Amino acid sequence: MTLSALDIARQVREGSRTATSFLDEAIARIQELDKRYNSFTEHTFDRARTEAAAIDARRERGETLPPLAGVPFAVKNLYDIENVITTAGAKVNQGNPPASRDATLVTRLKEAGAVLVGALNMDEHAYGFTTENSHYGPARNPHDTSRTAGGSSGGSGAAVAGGLVPITLGSDTNGSIRVPASLCGIFGLKPTFGRLSRAGSFPFVGSLDHLGPFARHVADLAAAYDAMQGPDAADHACAQRPAEPVSAEVMNGLPAKARVAVLGGYFHDWANEPAREAVRLAAQALGATTVVELPGAEQARAAAFIITGAEGGSLHRQGLQNHYDDYEPASRDRLVAGTLIPATWVVQAQRVRQKFFEEAVRLFKDYDVLIAPATPVAATVIGAEWVTINGQKLPCRASMGLLTQPISCIGLPVCTAPIWPGIGDDPHLPLGVQLIAGPWREVDALAAACTLELAGIATAREV
Amino acid sequence: MDQQQLKSYVDATLALQGFQFDQPITDEITLQFSRIHAIASTFIDIKLPVSLESAAVFRP
Repeated sequence: MTLSALDIARQVREGSRTATSFLDEAIARIQELDKRYNSFTEHTFDRARTEAAAIDARRERGETLPPLAGVPFAVKNLYDIENVITTAGAKVNQGNPPASRDATLVTRLKEAGAVLVGALNMDEHAYGFTTENSHYGPARNPHDTSRTAGGSSGGSGAAVAGGLVPITLGSDTNGSIRVPASLCGIFGLKPTFGRLSRAGSFPFVGSLDHLGPFARHVADLAAAYDAMQGPDAADHACAQRPAEPVSAEVMNGLPAKARVAVLGGYFHDWANEPAREAVRLAAQALGATTVVELPGAEQARAAAFIITGAEGGSLHRQGLQNHYDDYEPASRDRLVAGTLIPATWVVQAQRVRQKFFEEAVRLFKDYDVLIAPATPVAATVIGAEWVTINGQKLPCRASMGLLTQPISCIGLPVCTAPIWPGIGDDPHLPLGVQLIAGPWREVDALAAACTLELAGIATAREV
Repeated sequence: MDQQQLKSYVDATLALQGFQFDQPITDEITLQFSRIHAIASTFIDIKLPVSLESAAVFRP
């Protein structure tokens, strides 16, 4: 059985185990199991041994250890790691100089005692939902290695689902934390836009990029989130608001008076039957009997798509001009097409985004948490070009974010919780639900996830 | 916009953006742009109040 992050930290604090012994186990697991999952692109074992030894030395000196002491973790390959090249999954970045310092969130987890063991596979430049990376190979889903792990933080999802490390970090521009969490059957948190610093991460779409954690347990997710909170002047979009720790509050689940509803309309229509069943199970456990509409979801998804194409295309225009052949074949033509989007569409998209945000804020006056499927379908087969959703044949790589894009477009906090619907063509695969809260109310999303976990509805199953 | 108009737009804007590709690549980019156009068409003609903020999030 895979130990939780908090169990590891407790044992290290109590002295029943050393950080070094936990690290040795993690390294052995990675070396044995990651041949199947291909979740890591880089190991930082030497650094990890130094950090684990430092934790053990602090305990021997009688110091009080921080909350994640000795917990192994890994980060998506777009986080800066000192002395490691931040490739963001791209061949074109392999010649860049190594990072001179850690990303802010890596530093904060290190300060909380966690031990970094490596960098994780991803879609090139975070543009994709399947982590089918031509340069590093595809990340494989631990629950069925013929399937994708989702993306773009697919390595982050697979490493946690496969039990290699208890905590990973990813990024989410249009669903890149929520999609892998859903397909790999683990918990993932996309906080409010601006909550966690992005300093020291390779950007994709500046006005939509979020960073956040993955874990097998809500308590671990909350602990990692708490350790990373706080303002950071190095990221201009990071909110200058103090940390609002949630760990203590979420562990009892949602209060009985909490108002929870199911998102219908667009979020029902673009989900296949197993995804709808996942929502039904979650709604039942959370006492949600009302179905509500969030008007404008389709347009918000479209706005996110256009903003992404334009900002992402602009960021890579010069690289595509000079190194087109070195870019990921699965996404480079979509990226070039993004550079051709007229400015009027982008400006209209920003205004649609604002209108949708105002609609959502109105809805959150009446509700604390809204439930929606995280992905329309369970994990697709690696190499699949098409997916059928609600009877329509759609391009697979661009469509797995249909249900996540409207929500990240307006920056709301979401915890994805792993459900096992057990029906349809893939009854062996998980399918997550999005637990969506109002702006800056991560505590509500995490508490709802905890309620589902306590009820045994949302679980990260052992592989 | 019909397919010929889309193709003409893509050809012109590729040149404007400084790209030069062989025809098969241009054809694929045209296909990708036609998908983007189809998605954008769900909102580009919606009438919105002038008070709606058009800037992306910006904190000086």
